[in-house]
Amino acid sequence: MKNAEQKPLFESGNELAAYAAKQINYHVMGYYPITPSTQIAEYLDQMGADGAHTIALMPAEGEHSAAGICYGAAAGGGRVFNATSANGLLYALEQLPVQSGTRMPMVLNIACRTVSGPLSIKGDHSDVMYTLNTGWIILFAESPQEVYDCNICALRIAEQVRLPVIVAFDGFFTSHQKRNCYVFKDDQTVRDFLGPCKEQFGVLDPAHPVTVGSYMNEPDIINNKYQLHLAMEESRTAIPAVFAAYEQLSGRRLRTLKAYCCEDAEVLLFVLGSAYLTARAAVDRLRGEGKRVGVFTLGVLRPFPADEVAQVCRNAKTVLVADRQDSYGARGGNMSLEIRAALQKSGATVRVISRIYGLGGRDFYEKDALDLFSLGYDENTPDFDYIGKNEGDTHFTPKPYFAPITEKKASGLITCTEENGKVLVKGATVRETLARPKRLAPGHGACPGCGIPVNVNLLLRGIEGNVVLLFQTGCGMVVTTGYPKTAFKVPYVHNLFQNGAATLAGLSKMYHQRQARGELPAGEITFVMVSGDGGLDIGMGSAIGTALRGDPVILFEYDNGGYMNTGYQLSYSTPLGAKSATSHLGEVSVGKGFFHKDMPRIMAATGMPYVATAAESDPNDFIRKAAKAQHYAKSHGTAYIKCLSACPLNWGDRPNTERRVIAAAVDSCYFPLYEVEQGITTLTYDPEQKGKRIPVEAWLKMMGRTRHLCEERYESVRQALQGEVDRRFERLKIEAAHPKL
Amino acid sequence: MNDRYSDEKMHNGAAVTLPCVNENGCYEMRLESIGGLGANLCGKLLGELGATYLGLNAAAFSSYGSEKRGSPVKSFVRYSTRGSEILHNSPVERPHLLALFHGALAGVLPVTAGVGENCALVINTSATPDQMRHELRLHAGQIYCVNALQLALESKSRANMVMLGAIVRAAGFIPLEAVKSLITDTLGKKYPAMLENNLKGLTLGYEAVESKEFSPDEKYAYVPYREVRSKWGYATAPIGGANPHYGSTVSNDLSPSREGFIPLFLPEKCIHCGLCDSTCPDMVFQFTRGEYRGRSAMMNRGLDYHHCKGCLRCVDVCPTEALVAGKEAEHRDKKWFVRNKDLIVENIDFEPAGADASVTGEAYLDEKRVDGGLM
Repeated sequence: MKNAEQKPLFESGNELAAYAAKQINYHVMGYYPITPSTQIAEYLDQMGADGAHTIALMPAEGEHSAAGICYGAAAGGGRVFNATSANGLLYALEQLPVQSGTRMPMVLNIACRTVSGPLSIKGDHSDVMYTLNTGWIILFAESPQEVYDCNICALRIAEQVRLPVIVAFDGFFTSHQKRNCYVFKDDQTVRDFLGPCKEQFGVLDPAHPVTVGSYMNEPDIINNKYQLHLAMEESRTAIPAVFAAYEQLSGRRLRTLKAYCCEDAEVLLFVLGSAYLTARAAVDRLRGEGKRVGVFTLGVLRPFPADEVAQVCRNAKTVLVADRQDSYGARGGNMSLEIRAALQKSGATVRVISRIYGLGGRDFYEKDALDLFSLGYDENTPDFDYIGKNEGDTHFTPKPYFAPITEKKASGLITCTEENGKVLVKGATVRETLARPKRLAPGHGACPGCGIPVNVNLLLRGIEGNVVLLFQTGCGMVVTTGYPKTAFKVPYVHNLFQNGAATLAGLSKMYHQRQARGELPAGEITFVMVSGDGGLDIGMGSAIGTALRGDPVILFEYDNGGYMNTGYQLSYSTPLGAKSATSHLGEVSVGKGFFHKDMPRIMAATGMPYVATAAESDPNDFIRKAAKAQHYAKSHGTAYIKCLSACPLNWGDRPNTERRVIAAAVDSCYFPLYEVEQGITTLTYDPEQKGKRIPVEAWLKMMGRTRHLCEERYESVRQALQGEVDRRFERLKIEAAHPKL
Repeated sequence: MNDRYSDEKMHNGAAVTLPCVNENGCYEMRLESIGGLGANLCGKLLGELGATYLGLNAAAFSSYGSEKRGSPVKSFVRYSTRGSEILHNSPVERPHLLALFHGALAGVLPVTAGVGENCALVINTSATPDQMRHELRLHAGQIYCVNALQLALESKSRANMVMLGAIVRAAGFIPLEAVKSLITDTLGKKYPAMLENNLKGLTLGYEAVESKEFSPDEKYAYVPYREVRSKWGYATAPIGGANPHYGSTVSNDLSPSREGFIPLFLPEKCIHCGLCDSTCPDMVFQFTRGEYRGRSAMMNRGLDYHHCKGCLRCVDVCPTEALVAGKEAEHRDKKWFVRNKDLIVENIDFEPAGADASVTGEAYLDEKRVDGGLM
């Protein structure tokens, strides 16, 4: 059979995953951005904006929900796609066995990345190994070309054995590296290879009602799981058959196990992913020196090809298994453990040495492969170790640059008194708080003109005494704590994107517990959570929970209107119509498709004692609100402040103009300044009263991300946004005028 | 249909011959830059050039997570002939061609690490090859100087287009016509209005290089490429990644983040209102207690320029024009440079650094950068 017509491209793994998805034209992709897999959704959005596919891209508010969208869509009988990495995968992990256990095929791409913490965005295999027990078939691609090929085969395998399939590949090394590659010239070639989508159960077929997701205990669940096991066993023949059919079509053969110079080798190396290619270069070099070495890798991790592993190792004296992750305490990464088990089962007496390498994206050089091979010839080398670790400089004791900020030094500038349910603040101005020591040190890595440190500093100016900070993942966290340095001069904790408020609640509770037990001295610490970059999309549940419990903490949101830490994808607070990497402009797309989230209103609905919005364009008001938040957190419960935070890089404006841009957002009433104090709303600045109200267009035209909305062809979008801004502001004015609201 | 995929850009002519390759059969390039200068895009263009216009195998990737404005960025390109597979995925250690997109690039490891006598160096600078060799303490190599910023202004193009032209010239084996086709097919389709200027910038870069060869004359030692290791290792670092060295970013010298402008301070005009301090993201202003108009007040004593990234927010909010924008080159001795008032150490061993790195998405950034404005 003649191969189908193909065309050459020069693309990365992420681009090719997206390209395959476009050619398949999946029905639905539920996703949530996380480095390094984000580009897959970005490229699909870009192509979709120009009408290259009709996939419904659904940006969830977190990976757990993204997986939920995918599950629901799969239950609807169509074709479903997703991509994620690292902690995003782990956040979605609970949904994976649901998907496989109820036998809903779909394809999930994993651009493999280090699992936090400490947080690293770089590539290793610590995330994908968590999926070994989920009942998903797992393909592993070594190159961008294989990412493309695997993505097409994956769906056919999935639909054939009724199991979901993961396509995993190295984050960055494969996801971001551009290589020569081939794709099918005609999308129809791919669609013909897959055939029509045949559904098993028709949840969308009222004529044949079916219950998906039974409540099932003993004696039945074991049968369900045995069915899943049988499907995995079936895939042992189905996968090579699909690979063979794909070879007929493409001329390229995917393999469950790939071996290079293994036939007569006495020392074998196993590595997974892009390192396999580098190791082949080392094999060539050593073969040139007459050493009998070889390397092998797996293209399929589930079902685990144990027989093939045993077969390829049958003549070797030593097998060196290098894992890019560790199963801590097991003395080997997961591949090492599985290969050992496979060899034991086959009765082989080969010596197996396990090594951990390349964690957190540490590069794998040819020299590393050569070093590994040399271990194979070393009789005395330990069975298990890490390579590439660094002892450090034993003479290094860093000297403090600053004296700690004592409670006394940070106090005495502002006083708050409560009268008739209102808090009166004295001393909360820029001038009067100039003496407040800065809790942040300079030298952090935020972009020039970034609003985050500006807003954090304004907030902290209003806060007296000891402060403990918690940042959720985001730009603010990344640019301040790049190891081995930190910009924080006060105690600080990071926790992941969705969990900051709860973490801080636990921390503050421990403080009060230990004080109550006499373990810590009397005194006060103000606990502040800082989140932005969409952190109160994915972290909204945790923030609401904290507010409902009334934990004595301040929740501070810097709203920069997008996921800026991952390169500006839309968040729920991105303005309607704004451009982002997941809301492109195009022939069939007009930027972000829904209104900005009204987070202060959501928080106010919890009945928390203090909710406020603040803007750097009115710094005195900002400091005053911070002081009130501290007062309420101390005496009444949780306080929440949200500010609009400028992002020159992604808003597309000049760094020096940011305070004016923020002022325009306030004057246009896109971001009105108000507070809700024990349920009573006060408008703290009314641009109409001051004669300063401007149309929202005047703000939109200041930023590259929204400037297009001022063109005539986007008039309806602009008007919709203006209408929503007007509606929200009218409601606010009514609430502010009413004595009980 | 999106033009990045709709088009075939098959190379029609014969494959080029690589002038030299390393032991793995590869011709290797390393581009060193700071975010915002377009080195990442330039690297991708070079990769695409090799893959689809020169009949080669190509690989292109960047030092990941380094997309912020002002942060150091490395971009790597490998070429091999079609019969020879590119197996390496690690950074380019010993380049055949090194391009420096910025005259004063910072880093613990010198940007010229791994540069030997057979390397071509393309440098964006107004200086001469002799001056640059001295400044870079270069062991050996052929230096090609090009004033990319100036030529970008002249051609109303961007520095990376000019650099691309100079790189093609220095590489020696790439036909300029192939690059013109690439630019026309890619950027030209996306941004037709800028095509003419981009081609002009490319050609100017190709033509305007000043070149000189330096043999290894023992003046400066060869610096091998190596991994930068931290002083805190597994035997010395506090467990759990905890960092007790609070406020230690103060030892970063962020001057390399600046793009030519700084705020100048005219203290006689200052009313010590503190608005500058309220808008500065980088805690540059040093206020201490003093007496202003007969009353005790916090007074602005000056700026610690180590941490100023040149955003000029302060100039924008100053109500009395006590802060004005100036060209840094005209104010080498910054009169109101005062040290951070809170430091308790005598000396700091400053580490030159750009703004840190975390933005990793590229689709949106590419689009915006080509749109222009950043140069």
